[in-house]
Amino acid sequence: MVLDVTAKNIDEKDPAKQLLFSDQKIWWEIGKDLHGRMRYGAWQIKEIVDLTLQPMETRKERFLMNFDTDIETVEIEVKLSYFINGKKGDVVHSEKKTFEYELD
Amino acid sequence: MNVRLLFSITQILLLITFLGATPLSASQKEAKSIDELVAMFDESQCMECHEETHSEWKNSWHSKAVISSLKGMHNFIAIGLKKEWETPLTKAQIMKCLDCHAPTVKYASEELAVEIGNMIVTAHKMKGTKQGDAAKKELAKLNVGCLSCHNIKAGAVARGLHGEPAPGMIYGPEGEDADDAHETEELVDITRSSFCMQCHGKYKAADGETIQCNTLSGSYQNTYVAQGGSQTCQDCHMKKGHTFPGGHDLDVVKEGLGLQVEIVPYGHLPGTLKKKVKDPKKWIPSAVVNVFIANKTGHRIPDG
Repeated sequence: MVLDVTAKNIDEKDPAKQLLFSDQKIWWEIGKDLHGRMRYGAWQIKEIVDLTLQPMETRKERFLMNFDTDIETVEIEVKLSYFINGKKGDVVHSEKKTFEYELD
Repeated sequence: MNVRLLFSITQILLLITFLGATPLSASQKEAKSIDELVAMFDESQCMECHEETHSEWKNSWHSKAVISSLKGMHNFIAIGLKKEWETPLTKAQIMKCLDCHAPTVKYASEELAVEIGNMIVTAHKMKGTKQGDAAKKELAKLNVGCLSCHNIKAGAVARGLHGEPAPGMIYGPEGEDADDAHETEELVDITRSSFCMQCHGKYKAADGETIQCNTLSGSYQNTYVAQGGSQTCQDCHMKKGHTFPGGHDLDVVKEGLGLQVEIVPYGHLPGTLKKKVKDPKKWIPSAVVNVFIANKTGHRIPDG
């Protein structure tokens, strides 16, 4: 499960230069063999490092963003994706908001 | 009729009754081909009366429990057994996968079980070829079918109490009379989480080997139940009947995960950041984004 948080300068015309901020949090498990080595095979995994979101748990993640002084319009997007395997992921929930800064 | 004859008839009747309840494994021969195995656990009759349930199951991952997991099982055989353990493929070894992915294989002969194992390797390794596709087509006949849950595995968590499953008996939560279609027995086990946990958790093979495809039962038992959770696996995963939706169903994932976002835009005090800005005398456009991610399910996320 992956949480992506991005902030974009939507006044910028070039998409390659729009990104102002990005961060990611990942919830997953690391399977280990008895020598503590990371493994993928179900027969090899004897223990785990549990980095998943536990039942009935609510996790709070906080992101502080400071943009440049000439930035006026920022679009902030939060996306939570669930990967059923390493390749296939779906966006479960997302939220996008745009803010105008008038700080002069 | 003399007393002696009456006694003999009674003995014969008792013997017939006893044979009728003899465990499947003891009374039935071992299948020598996949078709023979499928015929032994003929589920085509089930859909005649349980059309809707069968249709739900057909759309479930249980119906493709072998062909959807070819890669993992191939790796166990081709890497685990062959290269790491240097152990021959045997029925006991392949049952470490198939006891859950195709429980009927328990009633296959040693030769057939090994053949199925080799077909798994072919189906994965030669995917897209005539030989690989033919192997996959055969393997598609194996799955977690009606009798896998309603007979073979039904009483397995309390085998000492229930004994081996009776041949042809359908174990269900209510034990409703099915007229002459089949015998039915009420078995509460099938409504309990521990029933699902036979496979949806760390698996312990007959020789003691642990196989860890997922640990759902671990987080369910040790975290959810430990915190007072009382829902069963079936409470959530049978809301859509026998399709058993889970991580593959986006609606179910959406239901199980909550997301709340709070964004606080503000102007940061000029000249107080280490970060270089174009005009150090100006207020710095800033934002604090608080994200709350809630796991509303009875198991950890993600899991298998």
